[in-house]
Amino acid sequence: MPEKTSPVEDKDPVVTQSLSGLLLLSSLLLMLSLVWAVWDEIYGQRPWKSIQKRFSQRYTAFLNKAKPRQAAVEKSVRQSEEYRKLEQEILDKEKEIAPKLKEIDQETIDVIGPRLTAITDPFALARSEIQAVTYRVEVASSQSAKDSLGRQIEKLKARPVQLTLPTGKGHSEKLRMNFSQLEQEFNRLQQRKAELAAVRGGLVKPVSELRAKLDAFVKDRMPGLTERQIEGLANKMRLFNVDIKQIHVKSVDLVDRCETCHLGIREPITLTKADMGGEGAFTSHPTKALLQIHDPERFGCTPCHNGNGTATTSVKKAHGRYKHWLWPLYDRENAEAGCHQCHTTDLVLDNASVLNVGKEIFRGRGCVGCHRYEGFDTEAESLAASRQAIRKLEMDRKEHEKNAEFTGKAADAASDNKEAQRLYAQADALRQTVSNIDHQMEQLDIQSRSLLREQKKVGPSLKEVRVKMRKEWIPVWLEDPHAYRPMTRMPSFRLDKEQREAIAAYIWQSGVQGQLPAQKPGDATRGKELFETRGCLGCHAVGEGANAVGGSFAANLSRVGEKDHYDYLVRWIHNPRERTRPFCTHEKRDIGPEDYAKKGLPFVFDLEHTTCPNDGHELQVQQMTVMPNLRLTFEESQDIASYLVTLKKPGASYPAAGYLDDPQLKPKGLALVRHFGCAGCHEISGLEEEGRIGTELTKEGSKPIERLDFALLTHDAKHEGWYTHKGFFENKLKDPAIYDKGKAKAPLEKLRMPNFRLAKEEVVAVTTFLLGSVDSTLPGHYFYNPKDQRKDIRDGWWLVNKYNCMGCHQVRVGQKSVLSGLARYQDPDWKEQLPPTLIGQGARVDPNWLARFLENPAMSTTDVNRNGVRSYLKVRMPTFSFSNEEIRKIVRFFDALSAQAQPYMPTKLQPLTDQEREMARGLFTSKAAPCLKCHATGDPAHDRNATAPNFLLAKERLKPGWTARWMIDPAMMAPGTSMPSGLFRREGGRWVFAGPVPATFGGYQKDHADLLVRYMFQFTPEEQRRLAGRGPASPAKVAMR
Amino acid sequence: MKRRLELWLAISVFVLLLAACGGGGEQPTETTESKPTESGAPAGPVTTVDPATAATLTGKVSFDGEKPKPRQIRMDAEASCASLHKEPVYAEEVVLNDDKTLQHVFVYVKEGLGDKTFATPSETVVLDQKGCVYTPHMIGVQVGQTVKILNSDPTTHNIHPVPANNREWNTSMSPGGSPLERTFPREEVMIPVKCNVHPWMKSYIGVLKHPFFAVTGKGGTFEIKGLPPGEYTIEAWHEKLGATTQKVTLAAKDSKAIDFTLKAAS
Repeated sequence: MPEKTSPVEDKDPVVTQSLSGLLLLSSLLLMLSLVWAVWDEIYGQRPWKSIQKRFSQRYTAFLNKAKPRQAAVEKSVRQSEEYRKLEQEILDKEKEIAPKLKEIDQETIDVIGPRLTAITDPFALARSEIQAVTYRVEVASSQSAKDSLGRQIEKLKARPVQLTLPTGKGHSEKLRMNFSQLEQEFNRLQQRKAELAAVRGGLVKPVSELRAKLDAFVKDRMPGLTERQIEGLANKMRLFNVDIKQIHVKSVDLVDRCETCHLGIREPITLTKADMGGEGAFTSHPTKALLQIHDPERFGCTPCHNGNGTATTSVKKAHGRYKHWLWPLYDRENAEAGCHQCHTTDLVLDNASVLNVGKEIFRGRGCVGCHRYEGFDTEAESLAASRQAIRKLEMDRKEHEKNAEFTGKAADAASDNKEAQRLYAQADALRQTVSNIDHQMEQLDIQSRSLLREQKKVGPSLKEVRVKMRKEWIPVWLEDPHAYRPMTRMPSFRLDKEQREAIAAYIWQSGVQGQLPAQKPGDATRGKELFETRGCLGCHAVGEGANAVGGSFAANLSRVGEKDHYDYLVRWIHNPRERTRPFCTHEKRDIGPEDYAKKGLPFVFDLEHTTCPNDGHELQVQQMTVMPNLRLTFEESQDIASYLVTLKKPGASYPAAGYLDDPQLKPKGLALVRHFGCAGCHEISGLEEEGRIGTELTKEGSKPIERLDFALLTHDAKHEGWYTHKGFFENKLKDPAIYDKGKAKAPLEKLRMPNFRLAKEEVVAVTTFLLGSVDSTLPGHYFYNPKDQRKDIRDGWWLVNKYNCMGCHQVRVGQKSVLSGLARYQDPDWKEQLPPTLIGQGARVDPNWLARFLENPAMSTTDVNRNGVRSYLKVRMPTFSFSNEEIRKIVRFFDALSAQAQPYMPTKLQPLTDQEREMARGLFTSKAAPCLKCHATGDPAHDRNATAPNFLLAKERLKPGWTARWMIDPAMMAPGTSMPSGLFRREGGRWVFAGPVPATFGGYQKDHADLLVRYMFQFTPEEQRRLAGRGPASPAKVAMR
Repeated sequence: MKRRLELWLAISVFVLLLAACGGGGEQPTETTESKPTESGAPAGPVTTVDPATAATLTGKVSFDGEKPKPRQIRMDAEASCASLHKEPVYAEEVVLNDDKTLQHVFVYVKEGLGDKTFATPSETVVLDQKGCVYTPHMIGVQVGQTVKILNSDPTTHNIHPVPANNREWNTSMSPGGSPLERTFPREEVMIPVKCNVHPWMKSYIGVLKHPFFAVTGKGGTFEIKGLPPGEYTIEAWHEKLGATTQKVTLAAKDSKAIDFTLKAAS
């Protein structure tokens, strides 16, 4: 029997199971998420709140610290003698006018004011009563009513009014006045009040002017803000609101909230990281001038800096440094990339020194030889375009000529006169069209001639190797150019031995054949002196590494003696543009004496003989080098070349290279030369019109990152954080083969870009340039496309850099020429041998003269071995053989830098009176004004020691306004000049000569500097001879002033 | 209450300062006092050397090598100067005495004075232009000390110092004009001075922060007096022959002689 067991109590879930734990957990979770949500809403999503509070604290602390400091500076300014003198002047003036002011104020306050107050009401009342009746007269309908009202007005006018008028000092008078008396008195008082106010104003004016001067005095002498200004900033911080600060530019739909954290960026005071407790985000903008040009309210922040302007939730987001933002903030070192977006065609920008270096490397190192970039090296493209245009016109011409002939013949055979006339007219029209084509072709030829002069190659012509150098050197050079010449522009290609031999063989065998005239040996010692003083060091250097002396614009010549033939060097130094054979751009080949002989012409080609004997089109008659002609004699060139051939590294040896003459290597060599794009930088036979082998880089900075081929390094790059444009460019520039790593490629499939051995800062500079090379989304008006003189400045910089003007001259304020930094020119006697500064050149010289000078710096067609203006300078202004367009651009550049109006209209100078001429002559030859001691006179014995130009040049060369300013303070324009200052002093609004003047000056009241300028500007050779005969005036004739 | 305390503090500090300054003159050893420099910038304390401990350094500078041929100056271009000279004038580049000692050598304390600063002398140093020659050929001045430049010639000169570390200026001085007074605010050895009108004219100015320098004269000798005891580097500077240094240690009241030899430029 089953034992009866008590029934198992079913567990009652309600009783036994509790959800309380779970509920507690979830409510806690809910609670937590609520707390988190609230926290995130208030702080998490708004990190800028605490940032702003921190800024407010630190800035206030900084201001509190700066205030007493600035106050102390201000105090010391206020204690300066000059300030006190001004202050005293104000006090004296105030004292002086005080009694008069008191008198005026007393009358105004005591009499006029109360009297006016007392009279105004009765007068106004009387006047309104009369006006009311007058109105009724005007609207009355009957004459009788008008009359009666008229009488009423008379009565009102005559009615006397009782009033008490104060007379001052508490007294008053009781008067009875009718309306006209009231009116008269009222007007008198008003007038008197105005009179007194005017007199008071006149008295106070000088004092308030002095006060303004005093304020300006403090402001001008205060480095930074005044105490009061700082106080203002501190007040602003007291009212500081924690909220999002944003710039909204509606027209471009731009929202930038950067200033939500970067609160100090636009503060008028300079805030450094240290000032703000080490927080870099709180500094003021490092280049305040840039914000002045680019008002943030109009330009925002991100158009220049990149980053995500709208993001406020984290620093990383705001800086755009996350996967989904394409344009992350530029790193500090690349910040200038932002400039390039709108300043695409500027080669040189103020405030963008890194970007400037990047662009100059791109231009000058030959990057543009392989990579097209809009705006760079445009000559070759323009030349090709005009050549194509010529071809097309030639075809058109032929066609039209043919048609004209047929039409003419058809006309001859026409059946009736009318038809004949029509056809003759048609034939005439066709012939006229042909004549028009001729005009166009002429212009295109002229343009080509210009472009052919302008077209330059970064490297030397390789057509000349056979006449230029020993062949053993070529393969050694190809193996590692930096080993032979560490600073060379020639990059290292990754070539194997076979490749090197084939390339060298092609170069050697394709070189032009020719025989250079044998040169007499020169004097190396004299050559060294010439080399060091004629200006060669402005571009070239000698010595390696830290010992290099000279410029880095052109080749370092330390080992030039190991490779080049003496005869070639002499020709090169004598005229670097001289070619062995001219190149016909039409036939695309070098033509020789045989081509000329066929036409019975002598083998003469130079800048005056530029047409092809075969087809009449333009020839390239020059070497495409920027090296100018220094107009040296053959003897001097021999001396310099003799010096240069001594520059050798002891013990350098070159293995024999007989294979260079192996004709079997030539075709392989040609293929390789083509493959590696050698013709991008060198002129090479058969490859004159080779295209560029690299990618166009104009918009490289905005290429989608996936299209930048990181190859097998993609993973590493992503992992290591350099999967960015910057990372790609930097690594590629540092090691152009880097993206071949790990790949097995056939030799000719490998990356071709050679290694330029760029220094670290050069890599940064080029990277900056490339990062800025973007396809901008900004509207057109943001781009810097000036139509005014700023365009001339922009165009000019391309030429200044192209020809390295800054090697010898100072072109911009603050820039030093290469020459001025050389040890030689630190000596006072050599310092005056430096080429002139070009600061203010546009204001100094007549632009037409400058154009002539640039064309022919010798200013003579026969006597060319000299400087046309400064014959005394050892350094030589060379002949650059500029094209007309280049001359125009350079002249306009200098005019624009000095804001000179174009075209130049010379100022008409007042002619000299006979007396003035006599005075000026006297002064010029007096002992007090030794003008002719230093300025050249044309007398060779004298001019040997001259240190300044001949006055005969003044009239056509100089501008009178500049000349006067120069005479008054030359050191201001050209610090360190030989021309002394203090020749004139200011006397009653005019400049007078500071030393004793000839007696003829007695009573002369005009400006002495102006007199001398007018005299100089009518100077003639005859006058010069006359002065030479005169000599210094005897002391007896010199009156002491 | 607090205000008053501060006021008392200020007054007592002031009185103490006054006492310190007042007593300065009677201190027996080197003393210092605050004095603003010429430029108004705050300077360190000015050192005065106690005459009782001061040392003296003397010596001479000789020339080693073949006597260079003196370069005659041709003043044809300036008749008024040429007429002032009866004898031919030679460039004062390497001026040798008969005993082969050298004139115009600037001997000075180059190192060893530490941060000591010295009062600027009130007396002016005169540089004259006479007969188209600078007299003296070489001078030394202290920073901020006035150089008075005269033109005793009947012709115009321009005086043009070409410094590396000071401000460059170039001023015309007409005959009979008033003298020019200038100072140099920074130390520099040496500042060449030239006249662009008369290119043969050359002079040198040495500017130092202290008074311990001398220019060798007729006997090629120099004397630097009043040196505080210490260890010094002395330099002898010559415009053509370069410079050479020697170390010397001076005890109180020492009187030492050191000689320099400058070799002919190779």
